[in-house]
Amino acid sequence: MSKIFNIIWIFLLPAFFTGCKDKYFPEIPSTETNFLVVEGVLNAGNEPTTVRITRTYDINGNIGNLRGETNAVVTVEGNDNSSRPLTMADAGTYQSSNLALSANNEYRLRIKTMDGKEYLSSYVKVKTSPEIDSVSYKPQDGNMQLYVNTHDPANNTRYYKWSYEETWEINSYYYSTIIYDANEPKLIREREPSEYIFRCWKYSKSGKILFGSSAQLTSDVIFEQPINRIPGGDERLSVRYSILLKQYALDKDAYEFFDLMKKNTESLGSIFDAQPSEIRGNIKCVNNPDEIVIGYVSASTVTQKRIFINRPSGWNFRQLCDTRLITPDSVRYYMAKGDFIPIVEEPRMGSLISDYLSSTPVCVDCRERGGNLQKPAYW
Amino acid sequence: MRAALYLFLSVLLAISCQNYCSAQNLPAVSGRYEQTAAEDFFKDLEKQTGFYFYYDTTQLDSLYINILIEKEPLDVALGKALQPTLLKSGIDAAEKKVYITSRMAMLTALPAGFYTKTGITGATADITDYGFDSKARKAIAENKIHEIGNKNTPYKPTAILSGIVRSARTGEPFPNVSILVDDTYSVISDTYGNYSINMPPGKHVLHIIGFGIRETRLTLQVYADGRMDIDLQEQIPTLKEVVVSSVRTRNVRNLQMGVSRLSIDEIKRVPTVFGETDILRVITTLPGVKTVGEASTGFNVRGGSADQNLILFNENTIYNPSHFFGMFSAFNPEIVKDVELYKSSVPAKYGGRLSSVLDINSREGNKKKISGSAGIGLVTSRLQLEGPIVKDKTSFIFGGRTTYANWLIDLLPDEYDKSRASFQDLNLGITHNIDSNNNIYFNGYYSRDQFKLNQDTTYGYDNRNFSLKWQHRFSKRLQGEIIGGYDYYKYDIRSGENYVNAFKLFFDIRQYFGKINFVYYHSQKHGFDFGLNTVAYKLRPGTFEPLNSNSLVRPDTVNTERALENALYVSHRFTPTNKLSFTTGLRYSLYSFLGPQSVSYYAAGQPMTDDTRQSTIQYAKGKFINNYHGPEIRFTLRYAFTPDFSVKAGYNTQRQYIHLLSNTTAISPTDIWKLSDPNIRPQQGDQISLGLYKNFRSNTIETSVEAYYKNIKDYLDYKPGANLFMNHNIETDVIRTKGKAYGIELLIKKPVGKLNGWIGYTYSRILLRSAETGLGSMVNGGDFYPANYDKPHDFILAGNFRINHRFSLSLNSAYSTGRPITYPIGKFYYEGAERVLYSDRNQYRIPDYYRTDFAMNIDGNHKVHQKTHNSWTIGVYNMLGRRNPYSVYFATEGGRVNGYQLSIFGSAIPFINYNIRF
Repeated sequence: MSKIFNIIWIFLLPAFFTGCKDKYFPEIPSTETNFLVVEGVLNAGNEPTTVRITRTYDINGNIGNLRGETNAVVTVEGNDNSSRPLTMADAGTYQSSNLALSANNEYRLRIKTMDGKEYLSSYVKVKTSPEIDSVSYKPQDGNMQLYVNTHDPANNTRYYKWSYEETWEINSYYYSTIIYDANEPKLIREREPSEYIFRCWKYSKSGKILFGSSAQLTSDVIFEQPINRIPGGDERLSVRYSILLKQYALDKDAYEFFDLMKKNTESLGSIFDAQPSEIRGNIKCVNNPDEIVIGYVSASTVTQKRIFINRPSGWNFRQLCDTRLITPDSVRYYMAKGDFIPIVEEPRMGSLISDYLSSTPVCVDCRERGGNLQKPAYW
Repeated sequence: MRAALYLFLSVLLAISCQNYCSAQNLPAVSGRYEQTAAEDFFKDLEKQTGFYFYYDTTQLDSLYINILIEKEPLDVALGKALQPTLLKSGIDAAEKKVYITSRMAMLTALPAGFYTKTGITGATADITDYGFDSKARKAIAENKIHEIGNKNTPYKPTAILSGIVRSARTGEPFPNVSILVDDTYSVISDTYGNYSINMPPGKHVLHIIGFGIRETRLTLQVYADGRMDIDLQEQIPTLKEVVVSSVRTRNVRNLQMGVSRLSIDEIKRVPTVFGETDILRVITTLPGVKTVGEASTGFNVRGGSADQNLILFNENTIYNPSHFFGMFSAFNPEIVKDVELYKSSVPAKYGGRLSSVLDINSREGNKKKISGSAGIGLVTSRLQLEGPIVKDKTSFIFGGRTTYANWLIDLLPDEYDKSRASFQDLNLGITHNIDSNNNIYFNGYYSRDQFKLNQDTTYGYDNRNFSLKWQHRFSKRLQGEIIGGYDYYKYDIRSGENYVNAFKLFFDIRQYFGKINFVYYHSQKHGFDFGLNTVAYKLRPGTFEPLNSNSLVRPDTVNTERALENALYVSHRFTPTNKLSFTTGLRYSLYSFLGPQSVSYYAAGQPMTDDTRQSTIQYAKGKFINNYHGPEIRFTLRYAFTPDFSVKAGYNTQRQYIHLLSNTTAISPTDIWKLSDPNIRPQQGDQISLGLYKNFRSNTIETSVEAYYKNIKDYLDYKPGANLFMNHNIETDVIRTKGKAYGIELLIKKPVGKLNGWIGYTYSRILLRSAETGLGSMVNGGDFYPANYDKPHDFILAGNFRINHRFSLSLNSAYSTGRPITYPIGKFYYEGAERVLYSDRNQYRIPDYYRTDFAMNIDGNHKVHQKTHNSWTIGVYNMLGRRNPYSVYFATEGGRVNGYQLSIFGSAIPFINYNIRF
């Protein structure tokens, strides 16, 4: 029997291994929604506060359809009758350099839009975020998993939210010391230090909802809460990586709001999916309480921590690169339009003529990979 | 030509035997015969004795003789050798001739000692016992006249004949066998094979028809009340052609409507995924039964939710009838005898669920000899053993299944890649026959599932059930049964991935139940069923604990819930004329929610939230906190215009006191149950239905049309983002919901013949609506919305073509409208990424579902006396390889929204299954 089965397995298994998840975007009729979306934490520390006010857009549209709300009148009101304005920095972004909120008061956000409508959030308490104990990381199945660890000795915080900004250095595959210059007679000269294109830095921000709770624990401890996972071989760890993690404290309602948003937009695709549902928040339209407004405004101090991770040994970042020897008479042909970038001069044996070892820009110029030559201050 | 002599000789035989059989000097023979062809055996005897053997070679086909003979007279030797066969010998010593004849059914194939039991008593009958013959007669021979009752009894206008219909081979009772009196009226044997029928004294012909048995006619001379047990031959497939001409009028003449009965043989013919015979999956191919998708054994009957089905396995309630994320059902096909699904006219003895009753019965063990079967498939291995403990009295049946399904995980979406899964189930049934009036049945069931979902989270669930039933016949008219049992279901989740958060979560429900059922047969016109059911529930909604001492998890327990549900029922069957009959059933249920418990009370007329909570009252142990009670009506009417055409109508109401809390689309194994309490009302439903039944081609084709309209009250739906786990105040997260369902079901079924199977089409809708208007948090603004399993069009073809007795082909084809889904209406940008915005629920549908499966069933040879019989099933599930969407979803990934279609089976899945019987 078992022999028969082995044979069957060999034949049948490949048939089973076809994937079950296919890209599919159904035709959904475009609906005019244009609901107000408000995102922001009123910073109770000494840092600036930014509130983003945007509108929902067409389901068949893309990020280019995102419109910021312009010229709205945005104020932070305290239950002590105080009022602090936020000013528009650009479309959709409203800022204050320091709101100077008091931990003893409650605050709300009032928004008057250009179309004459008025929106008001509910009053929220000012929460205090404890210090981040550490940002830790460890390899897991060939990936690099990053975690946050924090605790509140007062057992007061319970609900946390994080966001991060990541920075990583990238290096070109080839280190170019020479540059094409049409003004030079040889068309090639040595690079100035400012012209080096070997080292770049790239930046990114968190795009997932990161939150956690210790409500079910006896003490207010967050231990190894996953915040980011860098897949094996990813460019971010090809040289050196840094992450700046910001931590906010939430109240329970805000936590539930983010929980629902995550369930609706990120945690789908399992066999036992929860049904997606309508999401609102703590903001209502004063003129029409039934109008859908998305967003939860909360107030919290912000704590942050930055760590650096060097390339782990064995981290296999691969780039396919090849060189080409370009003869002097072909330099203009290959390099004038930037198709090739010279790396080093390669003298011919027994001759005064040199050829140029060259490669495609993506292998030589780190900016071609989206990098920025400016070294960040904290590097 | 030897065969031509056949009839003539068989008549002669009796005479010749009478003359010569007893005192003859027959030559002695000797020999060792092992798997010797019968023809060779006879030739050898011819050599030894010089007698000439007459036989029909066609009757000897595939017949082998196994015997050791040492100097025994020819007649004794032949008697021994042919004893296990259908052949008989007649010896004409004078002529030195031996006539080998086959069963004429009336003469042969009898259990040993047949003739000794057929003596008909007249004067010695015990009159005190309603004229019972002291020994129950076994009726097999068709050509004899069976006398019923004592001739000397004073004349009465009607006599009652009762008894058991059972297998002559195994002694197992045959349920649902039709017994027609003079082909004018009929009764059907019950689950235990009991029947009881009225007839005027005189001569009658009983015509006995049923599935899997040989059609039998018995001639009776009835004098008075009497008892006759009928031992029937099973319809063993022979190598010759079988002509089936049964009179199947059950669907037309039966009073019940909305009932689907499937025997395990029918179930086994339907191809299923991985070739695992799956009872629940076959149930979902019946009209009016739907599922949300493939990975969900929860099924929906006529617009009911999955928790509105009462799943009974030998009287036990099974809370989780599935294995492996709902991919397989938890019933071992080798144990199951038949399955009945009541969709509309639920008998009054059942209650507690709104939509349907699925009654699964297991077989009784073979009372004659030890036998069994084993099977091996791609997912499970099965073993089943049965046999007598005390011959003809006590028997057992045991079944077990286990899996090696880890590789199956790889079929699931990537998220489950590193998971592990296993499941087992065990069944044990013991039947003890005290005497002809008393039987005792024990049934035990255990199933276990264990998954390891990635890293360190394990998840497991168990069903444990047992029941004990004593069935007693008080008289020919009255029989009763008393059943006691225990049902248990639990699951637990353990996660040790993060030692600070390491937890275990635990849920269980246990119920103790007792049932007393009586069946009183008054006359051909009146029959009564009545009884009492009681269930005591103890439900632990959740215990959340640290997994080990390092864990900081705060232990939390949601209060244990206790309740008692009692019900009294009576049902009256009234058949005023041969054409018209009614069943009027009334069930009165009383539910009490019991202490100890703390119950929150909320401001009247306002939504139940943390803000409107007014008080929390602590109740002491055993305190009746509140009661719900009400009548349930079960009414059915049948009018038969002709013997093959009838109309039935029914009205049914139901009450359900236990709810499944689930806000996932498909029933998840982590869903918990909740008992009704002062804040959660019982669900109520009523259904009105009408059906037309017509049979064609001498009842070999059954057709039916059934239409229904149904109302559901106090069904539970959930507020957006409701958390059902460890929720101490679940009432604040539910929305009371009303539902209405309607539909029409068409079925054409050909149960017999070379080509058999069914074609069904259903049009149905199920619409829900938040009931608490004005209390806020209504789904879709309080308008009707389709339920997740609302699939208006549903078409099914389940066909089987028997090329010969050893080879058959099965084809199964299903089409249905895609289920409703909530699509987003817009996008927005939040937390650094584009996200989708949802609004009204279930306003769109996923693409339609279409699937075709194919299987070949190959039986080994049918030689009766082989030690083992084997069979193969080879097939392809989802033959067209269509990726039927299970769901369509939108996920934010890398800052953008991507749309996906998730299919459970992404390709055609071939399978192979091997079974061996011994």
